[in-house]
Amino acid sequence: MEQQVLRLPAEQLFQKEIDALIAAEKDPIPTGWRMSPRSVRTYICGGKVKGTVITPKYIGHERLVEIAIATLVTDRALLLIGEPGTAKSWLSEHLTAAINGDSTKVIQGTAGTTEEQIRYSWNYAMLIANGPSPEAMLKSPVFHAMETGSIARMEEISRCASEVQDALISILSEKRISVPELSIEVAAKKGFSVIATANTRDKGVNDMSAALKRRFNIVVLPAPANLDAEMEIVRTRVAQLSAGLDLNAALPEDDTVEKVCTIFRELRKGETLDRSQKVKTPSGVLSTAEAISLLCNSMALAGSFGSGIISEADLAAGLQGAVVKDEDKDNVAWKEYLENVMKKRGARWTGLYRACKELNKV
Amino acid sequence: MKHPHIFGIRHLSPAGAWHLVQYLDEKRPRLVLVEGPSDLNDQMEHITRPETKPPIAILAYTKDAPVKTILYPFAEYSPEYQAILWCSKHSAECRFIDLPSDVFLALSDREISDAEGEEGRMNVYQLLDNYAGEDGHETFWERVMEHTHDTEGYHRGANTFGSSLRELTAGKEHDWAEIIVREAYMRRRIEDAIKEGFDPEQIVVVTGAYHVDGLLSESEPAMTDKELKALPRVGASHTLMPYSYYRLSTRAGYGAGNKAPAYYSLLWQGMQKKEPAYTGYSYLSQIAGYQRTHGTPVSSAEVIEAARLAKSLAQLRGGRIPSLRDLRDAAVTCLGGGSFSAISLATADTEIGTKIGELPEGVSRTSIQEDFYRQLKTWNLERYRSLTAQDLMLDLRENRKAATEKSAFLDLYRSFFLHQLRVLHISFASQEQVNQDNATWSEHWVISWTPEAEIELVEAALKGDTVAQAASFHMKEQVEEAANIGAVAQVIEDAFTCGMSGAVSYAAQVLQAMAVDAASLEELAATASRLSVVVQYGSIRHLDPAPLQPILNQIFYRACLILPGACVCDDGASKGIVVAMERLNSVQLAHDFLDGESWLAALWETADRDDLNTKLSGFAAAILLERSQMAADRLYLEVQRRLSLGIPAELGAGWFEGLAMKNRYALIARLSLWESLDQYLESLDDEEFKRALVFLRRAFADFTSAQKDEIAENLGEIWGLNGQQVSEVVNAGLDEEGQKLVEGLDDFDFDF
Repeated sequence: MEQQVLRLPAEQLFQKEIDALIAAEKDPIPTGWRMSPRSVRTYICGGKVKGTVITPKYIGHERLVEIAIATLVTDRALLLIGEPGTAKSWLSEHLTAAINGDSTKVIQGTAGTTEEQIRYSWNYAMLIANGPSPEAMLKSPVFHAMETGSIARMEEISRCASEVQDALISILSEKRISVPELSIEVAAKKGFSVIATANTRDKGVNDMSAALKRRFNIVVLPAPANLDAEMEIVRTRVAQLSAGLDLNAALPEDDTVEKVCTIFRELRKGETLDRSQKVKTPSGVLSTAEAISLLCNSMALAGSFGSGIISEADLAAGLQGAVVKDEDKDNVAWKEYLENVMKKRGARWTGLYRACKELNKV
Repeated sequence: MKHPHIFGIRHLSPAGAWHLVQYLDEKRPRLVLVEGPSDLNDQMEHITRPETKPPIAILAYTKDAPVKTILYPFAEYSPEYQAILWCSKHSAECRFIDLPSDVFLALSDREISDAEGEEGRMNVYQLLDNYAGEDGHETFWERVMEHTHDTEGYHRGANTFGSSLRELTAGKEHDWAEIIVREAYMRRRIEDAIKEGFDPEQIVVVTGAYHVDGLLSESEPAMTDKELKALPRVGASHTLMPYSYYRLSTRAGYGAGNKAPAYYSLLWQGMQKKEPAYTGYSYLSQIAGYQRTHGTPVSSAEVIEAARLAKSLAQLRGGRIPSLRDLRDAAVTCLGGGSFSAISLATADTEIGTKIGELPEGVSRTSIQEDFYRQLKTWNLERYRSLTAQDLMLDLRENRKAATEKSAFLDLYRSFFLHQLRVLHISFASQEQVNQDNATWSEHWVISWTPEAEIELVEAALKGDTVAQAASFHMKEQVEEAANIGAVAQVIEDAFTCGMSGAVSYAAQVLQAMAVDAASLEELAATASRLSVVVQYGSIRHLDPAPLQPILNQIFYRACLILPGACVCDDGASKGIVVAMERLNSVQLAHDFLDGESWLAALWETADRDDLNTKLSGFAAAILLERSQMAADRLYLEVQRRLSLGIPAELGAGWFEGLAMKNRYALIARLSLWESLDQYLESLDDEEFKRALVFLRRAFADFTSAQKDEIAENLGEIWGLNGQQVSEVVNAGLDEEGQKLVEGLDDFDFDF
């Protein structure tokens, strides 16, 4: 049964860890929660509880996790903002898994999301046959969360139209939802909250109103803090992904991972790792997720058309594609980087530099 | 022997200060002994004067160069400061009991060699950072000590903390030897006081918690007379000086300062009000207030949310009262929308603040003043210390007749010194223009001494202990504030004239960083030519230009890359670009290490492309021609192409204008060029000719008449006429009829 599911929700995948944490609980537990805030932190950041090893789910930036948890303790809603590929949804899923043991109350925000999906809608056959009744009502995940005193998740909130976003305002400030058709009003139970995620690159698509923003505590998730953390993430994720894809290629060597992560970090941050030199940032997203897919692509290239080992030419092609998105500006930035930084890095980088230079000749 | 009371504190600790005052109120001592250099007791009377407003600092400095300094800063919330105040209020005696400052200064010499020899020793506070988890010892201290409102608890806690720390690190600290000597000396001073007849019951010793065990130790004897004599000493002097919260915050590190002086003063106020939550609430409200006055609306509801979040963050760590870190993170989340940059100015204002201390007049004699007078003497400038203005001419070149290095370069060193004063805005000397011929090695100064200069000098004391240090600090500040690369290049030039290679390379690094974002070609070119001057003439000021080369290289390379793109512009903007191209070209010619190939490639691209401003394409061609890159046949082809039939007349003429802006003699000498031009003009119809006329007139406007003569000769040859006749026509200017025709062109409609 289990093998047929492509992806299990976090609370089932990490059931053992959650049970161990609950069993070992010593601190006071907020109403509606299944474990104390400190145990939630241990679940997310990793640790050890009575012999059970808790794997870290979110590497680096422990303080941000603390702020997120503390926000949920104060009954405020939490908004996670970040570049694409900074583990926003990942963190929100694991937070709800640990706090409620249920990460499935999700609304996916899209341009087509309607207000009903946030509040409630009707089973129209029953509505026409019997008139409005509690049985004919289809409750949204937010409605469910209010009734049970748990946390609902709202993905990509800034992709929803503004009237849909506004539907959240009254829910978050009044903490109640009224159903005029049945003349009832449902008050949220203690423990209710919302975790929303938004993408910084979507800024301006449907900008959040100040009124709505004010209902959230905002936590900005940055890119991984240092090279080692990022390499660790890239290495594990590439191994996981490529295992499922039958790429016929060897996993990238540490040296390769390090080079890709170094280039990504430097271009993303606009300065070299040793901070001695500034570089120009290209317009494209250079997230960790992008680095992972670049390496998987290079593996596919090497596996299908090459020797099965990622060559410098494979890597150069991938890098060129990842960095140069908006032709002119990015091209200048990339060339400058090649000349001013990579060229001077010494022998270990010469091969890659030549391969990249070759692609830029024309 | 009976021990006196001893109160362990942490320097710059508001809770320590408050509890110490409670403790003193309870014990009512007749003598208070404070950890601080024992030769500085004379400053206490100034410290307690009502005009004195902290932050202040006692500065001890060596009398001879190189100047070394030690600083003892006091904030309002320094336990030592409060102890001194208490004594003056309650007519008790107060004394410093630590090693005299001249011994400290002598020891600081020795430490350097010590540290080199014995690596691997550890620093207590690094150790503590590891133990404290969280965010290092600052937060740990704040959580554990500063939030304590119970005097007995603080007293005992500090002592326990001090002795545990001591157990952990005894013998391992890199300055352990110094600690032993200091404690022996302090024990001696305590014994002396008891011998004088003070009852130990009536003495309170105020010292760092770390030293409590050392001072109480029975096994360790006090320092003997012999040992006292053996202590190294240097000639030293000291002064009180006004201090600032900003300086306190930059000297982070135990005892010397703390990172958030203004926040600590909020803690101090909270202590006095006996209201633990006061600090957090004022911190958040102050940030909100700052945001509001600077144009960002912040609601009270958001401040309340921030306060709640801070509290729940503190609870997550097992605290009751939020620490600075909790408060700041809460402010970022609730008031800054998740990004620190949104409230960074507000937090700087609330945590560091802009408070500057005050001293009664005449108290201060700072080391920078001493340094200034010493330098006047060293560089034979003392006679200029008068109110009448005097001239001073400097020749920066080496005086080959001089016997010593110092006198050989005396004028150069004088110039460095005067430039440093100029950078610091100390109105002692002002620089006058010198004529062009010897501008690189000669300087003309007018020097006069005013009381204002003295005041400016004292003010500069906040920036550093010597003139050079202050100038370097000032330049660093300027670099940090600089908005464009021009401003940074200015600092590089300043640092260069001041002979401060450290500042040059620092500013150069910042310049490198900013150059990445500087998009405009003009700015890059201007900066490149500024740097080029420094690199070229660096040797006269003994400056090694090597660190600047890669940056110049990079800026130049960047200019090459964006040149073709920058040439898409209107005629108004093209003037600036022409200047930039000219500058870049001469910079490239001046330095072999610059990438000539890229530059030529950029020029070729600019010259060849048809979609750029034609004047600039023409100018690029002119540079290539001048550098003998463009052969005659290529030029001929290009002229034909640019001036061919169907090209709008103003574009063709614009191109020619650009081409004619440089190396005219070479152009004039090329007969084929004039043939092409002639053919071109022939091919135009009347309307097009009028259009072209306007541009060509402009192109030829600043040719001299001799040049026009030669052109006339060329044309004569082509038309088969006498050159002399043509020349007369060309140089005659316009007759009345011609004038009218040309004026008619003023209203010419250029839109088509």
